Amino acid sequence: MVKRILIAEDEISISKALQDKLQQAGFEVKVVPNGHEVLEILAKEKFDLLLLDLIMPRLDGYSVLKEIRQQGLNLKIIVLSNLGQSSDIEKIKELAVDDYWVKSEISLADIVKNLQKL
Amino acid sequence: MRVYIIYIILIDCLVLGSLIFFLWRHHANHSRQLKEAVKDLQKFKLAVEQASDHIIITDTDGIIIYANKAVQKITGFNRGEILGKKAGSAKLWGGQMSAEFYKKLWQTIKIKKQVFHGELRNRRKNGEEYIALSSISPVIDANGKVNYFVGLERDISVAKSIDRAKTEFVSLASHQLRTPLAAINWYSEMLLAGDVGKISLHQKNYLNEIKEANQRMTILVNTFLNISRIEMGTLAIEPQPCQLADLSREVVKELSAKILQKNIKLVENYDKLPLVNLDKKLVSIIFQNFLSNAIKYSPDNSIVEVSLVLEKRRVIFSVQDKGIGIPEDQKSKIFEKLFRASNVRLQDTDGTGLGLYLSKAIADNFGAKVWFQSKENQGSTFFVSLPLKGMTQKHNTKVAI
Repeated sequence: MVKRILIAEDEISISKALQDKLQQAGFEVKVVPNGHEVLEILAKEKFDLLLLDLIMPRLDGYSVLKEIRQQGLNLKIIVLSNLGQSSDIEKIKELAVDDYWVKSEISLADIVKNLQKL
Repeated sequence: MRVYIIYIILIDCLVLGSLIFFLWRHHANHSRQLKEAVKDLQKFKLAVEQASDHIIITDTDGIIIYANKAVQKITGFNRGEILGKKAGSAKLWGGQMSAEFYKKLWQTIKIKKQVFHGELRNRRKNGEEYIALSSISPVIDANGKVNYFVGLERDISVAKSIDRAKTEFVSLASHQLRTPLAAINWYSEMLLAGDVGKISLHQKNYLNEIKEANQRMTILVNTFLNISRIEMGTLAIEPQPCQLADLSREVVKELSAKILQKNIKLVENYDKLPLVNLDKKLVSIIFQNFLSNAIKYSPDNSIVEVSLVLEKRRVIFSVQDKGIGIPEDQKSKIFEKLFRASNVRLQDTDGTGLGLYLSKAIADNFGAKVWFQSKENQGSTFFVSLPLKGMTQKHNTKVAI
């Protein structure tokens, strides 16, 4: 069961919508605006799931993924990006993420529904 | 009697004189014609020599026997290096295309004796690549034998790079637009769900308008993105086993609101099909465009028929409508970029002229075919043939923006 969620997203309008919706649905949520801070907070706190954007300042999502795998951190990872071409999806799935959602193609209601199933 | 003799002499003199005059005139004419022909030839030679396009003449084996000035200017090779060598060889500016490309070229000009048109990637003497728009024609004599080949090329690298920059701009702009579009979508969703307080029916209607307009914009932006990917050659193809009837049903479901709105009777006829290895996203785009056009250009209460027919090597997906059809004189342009037929422009100002262009471009990309039958005011049927052997995987070669 997923309870604590870390959102890595540099676009405030996007992260605020996610945070509001997920908190309302009963999840515990924290937001960080770049890849560097993802690694920083993961070193200190425990989360069940990381909702990861790919294009972020300082350290992008791909590098974050590689670093997390290298450190052997145990948490679910879902990429939430806007790249959406099937080859991007394949590339990301190779990095063994639990799922890949495209921002402009998924509703908040579906995000909540999918997270509750995990 | 004397008068008679004088007459004869006089006539003789006249005949002889006119004969001499005629011969003299003929000779003068002849040499004038010869002079004019030489002058003409010189004129043509000068024109060919100084034309800004690259012009070469080769023998039937492709050995260059003439090259104009522009050839030296464009390729960087001087005439001494060019003459006597084979056109299109890697020793000169050619050899940059696939063996198959050159094979097709020679087949067209030498065996079919037809003009070859194409874009070639060439290389200047200094190693720099350039794109040439080329046409190569066989010069055929009265007996139908090929005597020479004439090759014309124009360096279109600058135009190409401008075109590419424009495509890249569209790609970048579309990517940047997707995040704010997602934000608008999510916030209107939350308002509609009553997450921040109850909303009135009136407010709900307005919010729905915002949400729907935003969804249309998202689809449009995705279309731009896909077109720019195709034009840049970065469209990836990721085949996976897929049941085409399910795919078609999904597309019908997505468009069910519009079908209901116009009270269209949708008939689905699907043959029993094996799983086919296809890129679902790409095939869906074609299905969506065919079906949404059929709905858009059909009268209310009419029938639209969606079919999947199994053939020996392919599956034919088709959508038939009883709509406004395509005017006869515009049929050849229907898959052109930004083209919209005159009758649809009258009826609906919303369309972009991109849907069928994108559908055809996608089909071309994985070796499928699109075509249609149509009669104005009676309806259209659009077809796409999907190879049963499936699509070949193609990775996105460019790093995503």
